[in-house]
Amino acid sequence: MIEYAVFFFFAAVAVVFATVVVIHRNPVVGALSLVASFFSLAVMYVLLEAPFLAALQVIVYAGAIMVLFLFVIMLLNLQHQHEPATRPIQQFLGYTSAAAFGVGLIYYLTKYAVLQSPTTPFVAGAREIGVALFESYIFPFEAVSILLLAAIVGALLLSARAGKGPAQASVTAQVDARAEHLP
Amino acid sequence: MLTADNVLGVVKILIIVGALLNVTPIMVWVERRGSALIQDRVGPNRVGPFGLLQSFADALKFILKEDVVPAQANKWLYTLAPMFGLLPALTTMAVIPWGRAFPLHNVRVAGHTFFEQPYLFDPIVTDANVGILVIFALASLGVYGLATAGWASANKYSLFGGIRASAQMISYELSLTLAAVAALMVAGSLRLTDVVHAQTGYFVLFGAVKIPAWNCFSPAMWLSMIVFIVAAFAETNRLPFDFAEAEAELVAGYHTEYSSMKFALFFMAEYMAMAAMSALIATLFFGGWDIPYWNEPATWWASLLTMGMFLMKVIAMLLVFVWVRWTIPRLKYDILMKIGWKVFLPMAILNIILVAWFIARRWI
Amino acid sequence: MIPTHWFLILSAILFTLGVCGVLTRRNGITIFMCIELMVNAVNLTFLAYARQFHQLHGLIFVFFIMAIAAAEAAVGLAIFISLFHHRETIDVDEANLMHW
Repeated sequence: MIEYAVFFFFAAVAVVFATVVVIHRNPVVGALSLVASFFSLAVMYVLLEAPFLAALQVIVYAGAIMVLFLFVIMLLNLQHQHEPATRPIQQFLGYTSAAAFGVGLIYYLTKYAVLQSPTTPFVAGAREIGVALFESYIFPFEAVSILLLAAIVGALLLSARAGKGPAQASVTAQVDARAEHLP
Repeated sequence: MLTADNVLGVVKILIIVGALLNVTPIMVWVERRGSALIQDRVGPNRVGPFGLLQSFADALKFILKEDVVPAQANKWLYTLAPMFGLLPALTTMAVIPWGRAFPLHNVRVAGHTFFEQPYLFDPIVTDANVGILVIFALASLGVYGLATAGWASANKYSLFGGIRASAQMISYELSLTLAAVAALMVAGSLRLTDVVHAQTGYFVLFGAVKIPAWNCFSPAMWLSMIVFIVAAFAETNRLPFDFAEAEAELVAGYHTEYSSMKFALFFMAEYMAMAAMSALIATLFFGGWDIPYWNEPATWWASLLTMGMFLMKVIAMLLVFVWVRWTIPRLKYDILMKIGWKVFLPMAILNIILVAWFIARRWI
Repeated sequence: MIPTHWFLILSAILFTLGVCGVLTRRNGITIFMCIELMVNAVNLTFLAYARQFHQLHGLIFVFFIMAIAAAEAAVGLAIFISLFHHRETIDVDEANLMHW
């Protein structure tokens, strides 16, 4: 009974904030609404008996990726850049094709994807996921870690300014109080 | 609807929220008198005996002050930012165990007898299977309070302060999480009740001396304890890591433009986060609610004593927070970020390997 | 126990909203955010089916999708930053140097 109430409430929250992301002009408001949407999706994951992934969703998506988005928006001072209005023909075609796609998808889901609910509980704690990751999925695990390394190196190279590197001062030179080293 | 679970759950939530809301006034007094003691002066002693009512005077001042909102601030986000700051502070206490579980049996209240069947009362609001991940998840949401406050104030110095504070928090979150993994490896579970139960035994030294099996007494855990406590200081933006809100450098950083109750909310959020972090440190490293050298029976009075013990450990850790604030100078921001990534993160990762080796060799 | 197709319908709605955003907006950052929304809708589908068929593989897949989405967000934002430094605008319609 309470499960249904929680499901409908957080599903509504997720959809409302996703709509704000799509519609609102200000990217900071969009980023914060997306955080709220991700948080309600994490609640959905708890309802799907995957609490480990729910916590990971908040830690990784809401807590790290969206912080990255917010930093980029704030550092580039993007709220002063006014986004020009989309041409009406693009808006019309975009919304109608997406709506047609969505309606078609939901129709076919209700027609063909209605399954019997499983009766036994699903045990998906940290131990089972850890065992699966380190036994069956060890190769993709290591490959993803190399992928993340490549992403870090790529992000640093792409956003570095041409010319000199980051300004660095020697720590010892800064705290040195001897008279001959004072400016 | 009015089941024992629901009613007692609400009672536990009220106890925790009540305790957390009271932390701020008490800590304000402790901070001001403690700093005065360390700096060889007296501190507030006019309002009430020993200045104990100073917090009430401060609260009254905050409520009655004029609430100034900058003209170009984004009104919605400016008002929401302090509430984002309170979210992690209040919710992380939900999975921390603050006492020993005991059965409730035949409780007589006003002529009615409740609990004919014994009901196990576990003093933890929710004993989640992935307990500690919930704490890290909610703590990582604390970044948004700072970033939003800095941005919504429409002030360049606030923006820089907010970005600096957010960058510092996300950098030290990594070391915090990895250092806590060591304590979890020893306990073998993510639930904090299991972490406390793993610390209720004893280490036997030289066949004769019994030491409580708290993680702080085991040499393999000392490195993780140091990294965790330092990262906890950085997470709560306390000295020596409070450059982002440093008084002399950035006016007041991300909360420069905030006045009266909104500023009071930031203030409260900082002290409540400190209390939640102290509770977590006490649980992970100092044995939680365990009273040393006593096998606590499952009765209500023993459970109350364990709650008192937990409170004492949290208070001790809070005093350490205050003590360090007024002893150690503030770290410069680039040094702070440099050691966060280049010193503490490698130390935390090496610590995991070290503790894993110790566990494999059965030395723990 | 909530029926699985309810989660699938929620996922379809979120995916459709993401598609609307990608097709309609001109702000690069907003387009990225709508892409992340679509990836999360797919995550929800994976988890719904994992619970339906009691398979752990769905959960592991979601784990890897989260890691890869983090990498993609980092590199994508770095690309966007360098584009912004060169063109001084966030309008993706202006990124048309390859257009003849």
